[in-house]
Amino acid sequence: MSQIWSIGGGKGGTGKSFIAGNIGILLAKQGYKTLLIDVDFGAANLHTIIGISKPERSISDFLSRRLGTLDETVVPTSIPNLYLISGAMNNLDIANLTHQQKMKLLRNIARLSYDYILLDIGAGTSFNTIDYFMVADSGIFITTPEPTSIENVYRFIRSAYFRKIHHVLKAHDFRTLAEEAERQNSNATVSNPEVLLHVIKELDPEKGDIVEKALHTLDFKLILNQLRKQDNPNIGELICKIITRHLALKMSFIGNISFDDHVHNSVCKKLPFVDLYPYTRTALDLRECCKNHLSINKNLAMAHNFTDQL
Amino acid sequence: MKLYEEKNHYELLEIHPDVAPTEIRHAYKKLFDLYHDESIATYSFFSEKERKEILATLEKAYLILIDPESREAYDRDLIEHGEMEEERKYSNHKKNPSLMYDFKKTHVQGLVTIRNPEELKHCASQNPVIQNILNQDTITGRDMKEIRTELKITLEEIAAATKVRIEMLRIIEEDNRELFLPMVYMTGFLKSYARYLHLEEDVIINGFIKYINQGSLLK
Repeated sequence: MSQIWSIGGGKGGTGKSFIAGNIGILLAKQGYKTLLIDVDFGAANLHTIIGISKPERSISDFLSRRLGTLDETVVPTSIPNLYLISGAMNNLDIANLTHQQKMKLLRNIARLSYDYILLDIGAGTSFNTIDYFMVADSGIFITTPEPTSIENVYRFIRSAYFRKIHHVLKAHDFRTLAEEAERQNSNATVSNPEVLLHVIKELDPEKGDIVEKALHTLDFKLILNQLRKQDNPNIGELICKIITRHLALKMSFIGNISFDDHVHNSVCKKLPFVDLYPYTRTALDLRECCKNHLSINKNLAMAHNFTDQL
Repeated sequence: MKLYEEKNHYELLEIHPDVAPTEIRHAYKKLFDLYHDESIATYSFFSEKERKEILATLEKAYLILIDPESREAYDRDLIEHGEMEEERKYSNHKKNPSLMYDFKKTHVQGLVTIRNPEELKHCASQNPVIQNILNQDTITGRDMKEIRTELKITLEEIAAATKVRIEMLRIIEEDNRELFLPMVYMTGFLKSYARYLHLEEDVIINGFIKYINQGSLLK
């Protein structure tokens, strides 16, 4: 089974594709068979980050049934072990997927066989983006130390939280319960999802437990990108603390990535940053984040196995 | 997981119940920085009303815990409600600074004598040997030792109570003048010594100084 990591975070321009591409390269160089999937339909440019200016095939070939399987849309890259499914669209209207298309895509992604699959997710908090984010084993938020970007992370997390609750409630056919909870606390639930969970638990402890367990399966990570010298390097830790303190979620901080003007050069040259500038602070931070994420995931997996055995 | 409003003051400030006041202040400062309205990490996470409420609860918790009296009362309340164990209370962990010289190696209750000043004075006034010495013109260190043995007080006890090193007291009692420190120190030590025995300090000091002066005249 492949490990799926999704990389998102609400706001555009925070470096999601840049980090997805470069972490993908780092994983491939460590010998893991890695697949990058660009699901930022309509604004795809992950292929450019890793140095492919015009991919021969893309996800639209699969969705419009020109190609029979998702596997056939995979393009090899110049880096050994690294593969790409581009989101570049030939067909313009395909940027807005229908629910069936989305579900088909998600099912097929889950069937692919790689060590790591990295989903590069677009900006915004529509249901489509959130669903791609939630399908992953590990969801990585990218934010910059700016209020606008942090605001969008919080918005995204709350949307994901509600999506999960709605999803669980629907699946267990007790949607009425959620409505009841929302009716009782109409103002509070939107701003404070914790209260919603509390109300559900009070109304029906058994179902509340199911919801709580489902929320505990959400496993979020945070990377703070474009950290300039004058910024407070603890912001990432603080954001994670706020999330764990006020929402019933886990969120672990992976690391800071320093701001570097060379990133602009590497994107303009259409060459991968970690190859072009391997000895910069930023490249070091990227390697560090990749290492941290691998070890955090390993620890979590071990913890899960342990509880399963019990 | 507990709802935010249900946490007790220690949980709110993320500290253990047995921490010292400096740690409480530090924890409050850290959380204040996180929740105040200029903080970038909580931007847009709370409404203005929620933010004010959180800051108010934190402040309340801080003010209760930082004051020793209200903290004591709050701790008792927690213990009564079973939210805290008795032995975790801060006051149970407070320690006095340890003595540098602890001569009573075995702390057996019976050996610790509590001196009653009236009793000591009475003993001294009734004892002919002591009265004899006190009526002398000069008082030597050896005289002091005699008074002490008559009163049945050990040198160790005096050293522990007066915080004067036991070696120094021995030097005084043996009249070992080669090891004397400058007189201003020696009279200070002797004063504490005499005070502990509830003797008249002036009589002892004057007698001692006269004895020392005689000695130097003889030389």
